[in-house]
Order: sequence, then C-alpha cells, then structure tokens
Amino acid sequence: MANSTPHPAIHQVIHQAGRVVLGKERQIRLALACLLARGHLLIEDLPGVGKTILAHVLARLLGLNFHRIQFTSDMLPADIIGVSIFDRGTGAFQFHPGPIFAQMVLVDEVNRATPKTQSALLEAMEEHQVTTEGETRPLPEPFFVIATQNPSHQIGTFPLPESQLDRFLMRIELGYPDHAAERELLAGSDRRDMIATLTPCMEPGDMVELQSSLAQVHASDALIAYVQALAEHTRRAPEYETGLSPRAALALLRAARAWALLDERDMVLPEDVQAVLPAVASHRLHPAGGASGASAQEMAAALIGAVPLP
Amino acid sequence: MAKKARKKDEGAPLTRSHELWLIACAALTLAPHAVHAPLWLSLATGGMLAWRGLIWWRRRQLPPRWLLALLVLAGSVAVLATYRHFFGKDPGVALLILFLALKLMESRGVRDALAALFLCYFLLLTHFLYTQSIEVAGVTIAALVVITATLAGLAHAGRPASANLRLSSLMLVQALPFMLVLFLLFPRVQGPLWGLPMDAYSGLTGLSDTMSPGSISELSLSGAIAFRVKFEGKPPPHNMLYWRGPVLRHFDGRNWRPGRQTVSTELPYAAKGPDIAYAVTLEPHNKAWLFALEMPALLPPDAVISSDYQLLSRTLVRARLRYELRSHPGLVPGTEESTETLKASLQLPAGINPRARALAAEWRRQLGDDEAVIRQMLGHFRREFFVYTLTPPPLGKNGIDEFLFETRRGFCEHYAAAFVFMMRAAGIPARVVTGYQGGEQNPVDGYFIVRQSDAHAWAEVWLANKGWVRIDPTAAIAPSRIEAGLAAAVPEGEPVPFLVRSDLSWLRELRFRWEAMNNSWNQWVLGYNPQRQRELLSRLGMREPDWQSMTAALAVLSGLLMLALTAWALRRRIRLDPALRAWNRLSCKMAGIGLARYAWEGPADYARRVAEARPELAMEMERVAALYISLRYDRRKSRRDGLMDGKNEDGKLLQEMNQMIAGLKIHAAR
Amino acid sequence: MDAALAFKRWLFRLRGPETAPIVLTQRRVFVLPTRPGLLYAASLGVMLLGAINYNLSLGYALIFLLTGLGIVAILHTFRNLVQMEISPGRAEPVFAGETAHFRLTLFNRRSDGRYALALRLGENRMVTTDVPERAPATVQLPLATACRGWLRPGRITLETRYPLGLVRAWSYVEPDMRCLVYPAPEPNAPPLPLAGAGESGGLRSGRGTEDFSGLRGHQPADPPRHIAWKAVVRQGGIGPLLTKQFAGASAALLWLDWNDLPPTFGTEARLSRLTRWLIDAQSEGLVFGLRIPGKDIPPAQGERHFQSCLEVLALHGEEGA
Repeated sequence: MANSTPHPAIHQVIHQAGRVVLGKERQIRLALACLLARGHLLIEDLPGVGKTILAHVLARLLGLNFHRIQFTSDMLPADIIGVSIFDRGTGAFQFHPGPIFAQMVLVDEVNRATPKTQSALLEAMEEHQVTTEGETRPLPEPFFVIATQNPSHQIGTFPLPESQLDRFLMRIELGYPDHAAERELLAGSDRRDMIATLTPCMEPGDMVELQSSLAQVHASDALIAYVQALAEHTRRAPEYETGLSPRAALALLRAARAWALLDERDMVLPEDVQAVLPAVASHRLHPAGGASGASAQEMAAALIGAVPLP
Repeated sequence: MAKKARKKDEGAPLTRSHELWLIACAALTLAPHAVHAPLWLSLATGGMLAWRGLIWWRRRQLPPRWLLALLVLAGSVAVLATYRHFFGKDPGVALLILFLALKLMESRGVRDALAALFLCYFLLLTHFLYTQSIEVAGVTIAALVVITATLAGLAHAGRPASANLRLSSLMLVQALPFMLVLFLLFPRVQGPLWGLPMDAYSGLTGLSDTMSPGSISELSLSGAIAFRVKFEGKPPPHNMLYWRGPVLRHFDGRNWRPGRQTVSTELPYAAKGPDIAYAVTLEPHNKAWLFALEMPALLPPDAVISSDYQLLSRTLVRARLRYELRSHPGLVPGTEESTETLKASLQLPAGINPRARALAAEWRRQLGDDEAVIRQMLGHFRREFFVYTLTPPPLGKNGIDEFLFETRRGFCEHYAAAFVFMMRAAGIPARVVTGYQGGEQNPVDGYFIVRQSDAHAWAEVWLANKGWVRIDPTAAIAPSRIEAGLAAAVPEGEPVPFLVRSDLSWLRELRFRWEAMNNSWNQWVLGYNPQRQRELLSRLGMREPDWQSMTAALAVLSGLLMLALTAWALRRRIRLDPALRAWNRLSCKMAGIGLARYAWEGPADYARRVAEARPELAMEMERVAALYISLRYDRRKSRRDGLMDGKNEDGKLLQEMNQMIAGLKIHAAR
Repeated sequence: MDAALAFKRWLFRLRGPETAPIVLTQRRVFVLPTRPGLLYAASLGVMLLGAINYNLSLGYALIFLLTGLGIVAILHTFRNLVQMEISPGRAEPVFAGETAHFRLTLFNRRSDGRYALALRLGENRMVTTDVPERAPATVQLPLATACRGWLRPGRITLETRYPLGLVRAWSYVEPDMRCLVYPAPEPNAPPLPLAGAGESGGLRSGRGTEDFSGLRGHQPADPPRHIAWKAVVRQGGIGPLLTKQFAGASAALLWLDWNDLPPTFGTEARLSRLTRWLIDAQSEGLVFGLRIPGKDIPPAQGERHFQSCLEVLALHGEEGA
C-alpha cells in the first residue's frame, strides 16, 4: 500500500513546474506520467512555445542530469552515442560517451537528422542501452527522452517514420499560452533565470522507485475490457486508416496507470484512460483519407465518444 | 449453360457428413417398415442402403441416372406384381419406400437432400397405418430428432453433430406445446374422407367367423389385446366372464360357420336379474362384432343384436371403439325360439364320424333325458383321460371320431365341436359360441385385459323348458382354464404366450405397468376422436364445443405460445455485473432530470457532472460513485484485505449502493 | 411507381446511410418461408389428409409436432438475425477496376452464437459468416469498382435461413461507409519524366551527397574501397578492419504536373497518367510533388504522402473532397 501512494514530492514538482511553464499543467502532468511509465515524449509544436523550457524545468525539479542535443542534417549516430578514440597513452581505444548518456535528454528538432541518426536514437530509447563497436553500454536510470519536432517546415526534414513514432509513449502539443498566462509570461521575469533558481524536489532514486510502483496500480477486468474495446474499435471503424497495435494498447494502459498514480489512486479509472488517450493514441492513429485534418484532440474525443464503457 | 442451370437447381453440393446423416435418416425411417413390408422389398431397400453406404465409404461416384430409372421401373413392376395395383395403402407405402431408397442414390445437392428428408417425414406417418403403439411412437421421435438435425446440418454445414442434435431436440421440445394445443383443439373430422382401399385394415388379428380344429389354439398363441374392460363395481368372478362373440351353427365336417340370423334393435329376451355395468374398449378387428358379457342388458349406440344374441356394430370396427354396457351374468334368455333355428341347430353333415354318431345314439337310447345325455357327455370327457392342450395332433376326415376315440387331445374348439356334434347326433339342438373367456385384471389401473389368448369356444344347447343353456365342455376337462386362465390350464412346457405365463411374477408386474400405460395411451392418445374431443372440452368448461369455438381457442392458445416463444427469441441472455446494473439504474433515474450518463462517461466524471448541475445531489452522487468504483474498478482491494471475505464485503458495498440509489430523491424542478 | 418505392422505403426502413452502430430491431427483420419451407407446409397438408382419412391419431400428433417445428423454426430464424448490431468498418482504397472490399463488423450481444448469416451487396456474391457469442465478427463484402471517387456500397442485404432452411429472415441495412477509389493507372504510360527536365517540368535534384557518417566493423561483403585504410594505418596494422559508412539516401526530387501533360489529354486521361507516374515514383523511392489545378502538394516521400497524392487525384473535381 505504501508504495502505491505517489511520492508527495511529485506534487511539488507539478506545482513548481507550473510556476515556470505557465498554463500548461495538463502537459506537465502528461510529461510526468510519461516519465513514470518509462516512456518517452514527443512534443510537436511551433518553436518558441516553451518546449525546451518544459524539459529543462522537469530535469531540474526531478534532480536528473540533463543533456540537450540539437539535431541537424549533418549529424551522425556517433555524435549522440559517442565515439571511441585511440588513446596514444594506453594504446587502446577509449569510449567517449555522447550526449545521450544523461538521465533526461532533450532532442531538439528530431526530424532534422537523417533517418540513420534518428534510428540510432530510437534504438537507444527503446533498449535503454547503446551498442558501439560490439560493446553494450547501459544508459543511466531513469532515462527519459523528450524529442521535439516542428510540424510546419517539411522541406529538408526527415519526418519520423510511422513505425518509429510508436517508440514514443506520448505525443503532445504545447500550443500557445492562454491570455492570462501569456500576460504573466510577459510581465514576469525571464524563464531561464527562473530555472536557475529552482531546487530539485526529488532524487533520481525516488523516480525509479515511483516507476517500479506503477505495477501496483490495479487495473480491473472492466477497465482492461475498456482498453481492449478502444483498441478494437480503432481497428474496425472506417475513420482510421490503421488501428492501434497491441503495443499501443499496452502503452495506453501503462500511461493510464501512471496518470492514476499522479492522481494518488491505486486503481485505474476509465477517466485515466480517457485523459491520456489523446497523447498516447494521436501519433499512432491516422484518419482514413489522409487529407482530412482532424486534430489529435478531436480524433481522441471522437474515439472516446464512440466506445461505451463496458 | 444448361449444365450450369441444373447445377444451380441442385443447390449447394452435399458434404460427406451430410451424406452420412442422410443415410442414417433413411435407415432409421425405413427400418420399422421391415416388420410389415414384403420380404423382397425389405431386402431390396436394405441392399440399396448398404450400397449407398459403400459408395460413401469408398468415395465412389453415384450410379448413373439411367440405372436409377431402370431400378424405379423394376421396383414398380415388383410392386404391381405383389399387390396387383398401385392404389391403396400397401402398394403406396411400398412405392414411397422405394423412392426414398432411390432418392439417396441421386442426392447430390442440398435440394435433393431436402426432398429426401421431407419424404422421410412422410414415411414416418405411414408407420402409423400399421401400428400406433408406444414403441413406434418412440422410434418415430428418435427419427424426428435425427431428421431435423440433418435439416439443421444442411442449413449450416460444418457444425458438430452434437450441436445439431441438441438444436433439433430443443426445437422439437419447443414445438411440443404447439403439438399439444393442436392435438387437443384442432377440430377433428371422423374419417375416412374418401373410400378406403380394401386392404386398409388387413393384418388385424382376432377371431374369425369360421372355426376349425386348431383355429383358436393358433389364436391363443398371440398375446395381443382383444379388448379392455373397466367394471364399474366389483368385477364378477373369472368363471362368469364369457365374452360372447360369433355363434356358429353350420358344420360341414371340418369348419363351423354362422347360420342365417336376423338383427334387431330390441333385445329378443327379457332382461332381468342383477346386472353389471362396464365399459369395453375394443381393439379394431375389422368385423362388426361387439363383444359383451353374456347376456347384454342393453344395446350400445349404433349397435344391433342378432337373433343369436350377439351384439353387432352397424359399421365394421376399424378404430378402437369404446362402449358402455350392462349385462346380466347367468341370464338364460328364454324359451322362445323359431323352429327354423332349432332345426338348423340339429344340422349334421352326412356320412362322417360314424362312431360318434353311434355312441350318441346309444346314449340317447339308454338315457332318454336331454340333461342326462349332457351329463353323460361331460362325464365322458372327464373319465376318459382327455387332455387339454395347445398342441393337439392333426385330425383327418372323421375329425370328431379321431378326437373322441383316438387322440383325446384337444383345445377348446375340439371339445366344443365334439360336444355340439354329439348333442346334435343325440337329437338335442346345440351350437358353438365363440368369443373370449376370462381376462386379467391389471392391478395398476384396474382394467381387465382380454387377449387373443383368451379366445374360447363353448357350446349352447337348447333345453325345451329352459331355452339356450351355456355348456362349456372345456370346464369339464380343465376347470382351471375357466377359473384361472389359460396358463393354469395347459400342461407345463406348452408354448403359452410369454406375457401370459404366470410363473414370472416380476415380469407380470412389469407387464401390468406397461399395459396400464398402453391403455392410457389408447384411451387418450389413439382414442382421441371427435367424440372424446367434445367430451373433454365440455368437461373443461367449453359449452357447445363446435369447430368455431375450437378454432378460436386454438388461435388464442397458439398466439399465446407464439408470444412466449417470441419473448424467448428477443431475450438477451447477458448477465451484467450487479454493480453495473445498479449504476445503469441510477442513470435511468437521472435521465428523468436530463442527467443520464453518457455511454462513454467514467464514474468520477459523471458524479462530478451531476454534482455541478444539481449541487443538492453532490454528496449522494459522490458516495454512490465511490461505491461503484470500489466494486467495479477496485475489486482486488476487498479481496486482498483478508479481514473479511471479499465476496461478503462486495455484497455489503453493493447493498449500500442499491439502497442509496433507491433512496435517492430527485425533484424535477429546482 | 414512386408510391411503391416510398412504401418499400417505409417498410424496409430505408432512410439513407445510417450511422453506426445499426441495431436490427424486430421491426427491421422480415420473415418469409423459403421454397423448401413451402414444400414442407404442402407435405404437412398432404400428411394431414392422410391422417384424417385413416383416422391416425398418432398421425395427427406427428403432423402437429411438425407444424410446431415449423413455427419454432420461424422464431429461431428470426432470433438468429434480430438484435444484431452492425458497424461499418473500413474499406481500403483501391484503384478503379479493382474490387473494393467493404468491411462490416457484426456484434452479437447474446450469449449464444448466430450462425450462417449471409450478407450481400447489391447483386454480388453472398458472403456467409458465423458470429460467436458476445463477440464481433468481421466480413468483407466485395464490390467491383468502375470509376474514381468515393464509392458508397448502398443497400446491404443480411439474411439467414438457419436453423432449418425452411424460413428466410432478412433485413436491409445501409451503413454509412465509403471506399476511396483511385483513378485507374494508365496501362502503357511513358516512363517517369525524369531526364528532360526543361520540357516536362520534372525537376531532378542531384544525387544525395554521400556524407561520411561513421565507422563500423568490417564485414566480408563490404566493398574494399570503403575500408577505412587510414584507421588501419593509425592502429599500426593491428586490430580489426573498419568500414566507412556513408549517409544520405540518393533522393531525386520530381514534380508531377497536370499542366505538363499533352494538351489533347482529357481530365480522366491526365489523372490516369499521373496515377501511373505516382505509382512508379513511389516504387522507385523518389521524392515527388504533385501539382494539379486547385491543389499543390509539396514534394515529400513516404507512404502517407503517396496516399494523399492519390487521394487528391481520386477526388479531383468532386465536391467536399
């Protein structure tokens, strides 16, 4: 019982982050849920809405060490994973870890890099380890990647292939701040200065412990039936080109568990599933007839509305 | 093109399992026909079924059509040769049997199979032309289940046989109420609708209107039931149970035949003395005879009485017939008789049985008195070691002589014939009376059963001062035949019908039960004719049960049954979680104020929405939602706590939830 | 005629495409005897005459039981169809001339199965299926396509003769579903307008630059000119051979332009040609853009891009595309 009540510090994190990233509590929670569920986050939005700040704030508050990688088209896998350099002194190759060796990695503009580099990153994300020159090196725990992607400029980019998008547990959009939040943003002090003043609320070990307590969150038969019904609906309904895969359904359940944990519950409610559904499902579902442009929120709302609770 | 069209006509091709089912249906339908069908037909049909089975087993081609046409022709010729014509029951059934067997040979598609199955249904009906016993009904039901299962298999190939059988049984059980209602209320029409072919009632066993040595002993081997009797009061003793049948006056040296007689609707004698009331249920025997205890005191409806005091129906008894009667046992009808009859009762064929005639003449001379001659004759039977046996030796031309002086072994017809012959030779008018003697009471339902094995022949002699007096010579030889029945009278080891034997008491017990069942079957199922229908319906309170009111009742009851079945068809057998049921009930209640739950809405969200819209319900809603959540999404908790049994805990929560929902007071307007 | 049609629409509850899920209520399910059913009834009639004529009491019983069986069969057949739920499923886009497959999902919310359900689209072939208890079953209904654009299946007949084949229960549904039909690709089209850039408007970018992207262990199949000889030398000739890896897919940029086609071509001919070229470009892994009147799709790559291009062609000139 004890380890299924969330760490009180996690609320501190939400509160503190909300002070810096204004009006985005929902996104902060989703990001945290993603982290709790040992997933990775893809933020797709225009530049300047605070993607980097969000990542930075979270790393700071959670006490995780933080690396930022700006992807460019001339980037090579070695640039993120690291290289072995011949050490003349010892007469052997010495591995110099790349920026991916951090607990929280922000990958900016992930679609700028070539598919080869992207896949190197995604493999590392999936396996929590990198393999170079025949040697496998584990990545630190917890390991959390926030990748950002700019949706508007397509030329000269390599959009992540559909199969790779699946590696991200969630995809969220930050969107413009609302009126009040923007006003506060303009009136307040510089965000980057504020980050410097933040003190960590947790230690990395706390996060790992929280992650492992996720399994204690109970998902009843009725709830599992609901998740299954959602997935089955997407596979049948004509609105979608392809349905949710079993992996996606698992991801949905895991994310819902994390969301319940953030809500200090030891069981998953349908509301949890519905809360994480847009973030979990939107990048895995495509409306049939590609041109029609329903937003992720609209699509998720339609999906929720179409499936009655069992 | 033509080929394609024909292919379409046949419907979908049959699978191998379909074929096997079809063969089984045909075999099950045809097997009981082997009992009465001519031997060649049974052999041919069995052969064809075996051939079809072999084709199935070896996966061979079906025979070509020209061969089948040839077989049809050959079969028809054989039927014609057997029966001389095509019309009527037996040749018709024979042709149907042939057609079914041949239909199997050419069934390639579903359509052919359907035709064969409908033919099977039809052939099931034809069983009843021969016998309508419980056993045949059982076989018919088994065949029905299998045929219907085959039909189900045709409509949906690839389901396991057991599922088809289950389905067909279910459907037949569901059809039973319809059958009952229709059976009771369908306005009955007394057949026949058109003239029946001559052979319609062949094959019924029973007394015949001639008697020759061996004719009754042969009948005695049959355990078949002749009629059943229900006495109103205490049944009379066994030795009074003489059931009068045909009276035989004319003797040609071997056969006894009835003489000329007149019929009347009035009793030719004065009924007097104590009487016994009883009802007879007569098996059909295709004769006009109505058996009655001697002597009948009244005439049943539609019956007449002959000058020989035999009751006769106006029509032949071709269906089981029930009639109520009264009789005066021991009544001697009177002293008036036409001289013509008396003269005929002295008739003897010339030139045969000289020794018997001589003996009779000698007794006549010595004794003079008629009654003394009779006593002498009976005493002779008793003294001279006559044997009462079912297997007498065959007799020649002078049969009476041989019997009286040489073989001395005979059955009742021998004794009756010899007695009457001797009386006539001695100048005393006498005649043979055939009928049944005795009967056996079934302790289960109290009915007396009179079998063919109770067939009997006795004598009547005319005594001028008394009239016709019954003399039973068999009683002189084997008194126990008259006192206790056939099994007691014949020596051990004789082929008494198995069911009549008295030594196997458990078997008798079983037999009594079975026959009681058979009797009810006869009374209520087979004997359910227009008259019975009217009786039953008026007893059930239907005044003037005519066909209009019966049809109306039929329509109403069938409609009710249809409704019940429709309700069954529309029923959704889904067991919902009780918590979910309660939760749905809440939503229904809330729908009254426009706050029904959306199908996709989670419990916490719903509670919040209701609370926002109707703050006065917030507390209750929150509690109910919490209960629902703990029941439906957190069930593990109560199970794991271990302090209390999880089920009990859940039950308490559910109870609280139900109570809260029931107690929720919702006011439409705020 | 119109009145008859209106009556039919009223009787069969045809009100145009219905939104999912469609539940076959009892008002929508119709029942009539089949030809075998009529034969069955007729033989019962003949049997009844026989039973009356010969006074067969058991014969009456048999006939009445079979009559009951017929009535029960009606209800069983009705029950096999009633209360079924039908949801339209997706239909993958096809090229004109191919057969479109419309998926329908049949839900059975009852605890016993439904069997031998036959579905038919128009005059097409029947598709039969069973729906197990409390579970969905998916059927695909084939429909031939002729022209591009949205194809609606129209009325679907659902029928069943289960369990005895004596009775046919059927219902009509018109689920709201459609299938995108791409234009038929031109059969003998000229090759992609890659080379003659000026004339056809096709723009071809240079081959992808071959950037050095890293080293990996040498494998026997690697071409010798990719071996990192310098690295070998640095190691002093000991250690494993390394292979240089190069990044940058060889990508060609191609514009497929409506206006660059011969002016004699009609709309459909142009669409057909463009469809063929789209397919070719996709199979060669090119980067291509599409330009048709009223629509510009910037060059890109990938399955989704390919499909959106095809969709634009399919819906060209149609309202609400």
